[in-house]
Amino acid sequence: MLALGLFLSIHASNALPSQDMAIHIVTAEQGHLRQLQRDEAELLFLGRRTTAADGTPVILIDLPAGPIRDRFYLLLTGKNPQQTRAYWSRQVFTGRARPPLEAHSIEQAIEWLLQTPGTVAYLPASNGDARLRVLMRLQ
Amino acid sequence: MIRQLSLLSAIVLGSMTTPALGQQASPWQLSGFGTLGMVATSQSDIRFARIGVDRPGSETPDFGPDTVLGIQANISLSPQTSAVLQLVSRERPANGYLPHPSLAFVSYTPSPDLSIRLGRLRVPFFMHSDSLDINYALPWIRPPVEVYGLNPFSDLDGIDVLYRTRIGSTDLEFHPYAGRSAIPIYKNGRGRLDRLLGFNVSIMTDRLTLFVGHATSPLTLHWGDPDFDRLVSILPPELNRELSGGRGHASFSSAGFQWDDGSWQLTGEYARRVNRRYANSAHGWHLTVAHRVDALTPYLTLARQTEDRPIAHYDFPTTLPGQLQRHAFEQFLISRNVAQRSITVGIRWDIQRNIAIKTEYTHTKTLHDSWGSYFPRGDVLANAPIDRSINMLGLSVDVTF
Repeated sequence: MLALGLFLSIHASNALPSQDMAIHIVTAEQGHLRQLQRDEAELLFLGRRTTAADGTPVILIDLPAGPIRDRFYLLLTGKNPQQTRAYWSRQVFTGRARPPLEAHSIEQAIEWLLQTPGTVAYLPASNGDARLRVLMRLQ
Repeated sequence: MIRQLSLLSAIVLGSMTTPALGQQASPWQLSGFGTLGMVATSQSDIRFARIGVDRPGSETPDFGPDTVLGIQANISLSPQTSAVLQLVSRERPANGYLPHPSLAFVSYTPSPDLSIRLGRLRVPFFMHSDSLDINYALPWIRPPVEVYGLNPFSDLDGIDVLYRTRIGSTDLEFHPYAGRSAIPIYKNGRGRLDRLLGFNVSIMTDRLTLFVGHATSPLTLHWGDPDFDRLVSILPPELNRELSGGRGHASFSSAGFQWDDGSWQLTGEYARRVNRRYANSAHGWHLTVAHRVDALTPYLTLARQTEDRPIAHYDFPTTLPGQLQRHAFEQFLISRNVAQRSITVGIRWDIQRNIAIKTEYTHTKTLHDSWGSYFPRGDVLANAPIDRSINMLGLSVDVTF
């Protein structure tokens, strides 16, 4: 059962998103982060900044490699998967930035968000959760 | 994408609980990159060499110029302070594949816009200097040697400052640096930049990156091969002082651009080095166009390096010994001139996330007074790679992990 559940969660997070699928950048409802500008989100997910506008450190979470992650980076940064991977390999191996932590499923990303307020992730808009605050909608 | 190796343990099926974020947010992060690459030239009496980077190989195909393995540890010391250690193993002019610390620095970030880094850094002479060994991040098997061969120094032992700011949707980065740098030179030589000062500016938008940089330093350079030792034994001492020693001075400038709209990529760079003595002055440029079609990216590169000034001038006497000296000196100047022009067609195949296969074919023309990026096998004079048309085939597999 555990293996089946893990398979389904991985499968769900890699399901092909539709062309117009909306993605939300989210944080825990109880966290201190109330808003995020688009520029700010782009700088954070490109590794050019590690703190929110008020100087508080932000922990970022990536979904597993797959179509949802690809669509998120395309919507936020305009970079396709190859550009994103090349960009991040430069950032990491020049010591300029560390990539977001990778959750192995949407469920794990939500769990981490709730465990550590101030953590930021992105989820398909269809994965709404009252315990999460939507900081930005990308479509 | 590069991830914590420790994450592997988190997805083991036998685990009954989901690891907490705290367990994942380790202060340590290990990652790596590598290339298995080979090149073969169409002419058996010469071999391809990246001057100052690898040892001229004797085997065909040659795995030396492009094969590399790098392991990196990132360590968070505090919210503002981190450290990076990167070990790279690749064929070097003198040390075989002995791992070499290519990064070993502490970074302090007092504000989101500002980082100060101290230790072993990459010296950022070129637009792509940061990622010279990270071939996965580059469109080619290797950056065009006509430009990137102009300056083989890669380490900076010193300090740099990265100041970034955003104006509208344009990012600006100011990057001053200072320190020293050294390289081994085939076979037993050594080059050193003792008081290196440089300043770069980068401008980045969603699609366009512009780069301009300038650096200057006193230069110490000792050639260390038997042919050079024989040469200086017959040349006048006042000329020898212009060929090798500790009183050189070098300056280096580069300007580049990259346009990438996700489908088309256009990259170009111009670089120039000016030496007072010990090495020649030269400039080079390249222009690359690439087009992504799903996982395939074919590309075309035109490149050229031109000598501006030879290492030294000398008026030899017209006597027989003087003419023999002049001939030997001219052969030396030719061997240190890597001017050439080339056209490369290649294709990159992103076969999986984090794995790219590349193959490229290069047609190179050396000049009547240059060896280009080639080295003769056996008899140096008889097989000197002057005035040649050379075809070269490269194949590589790049990974990040």
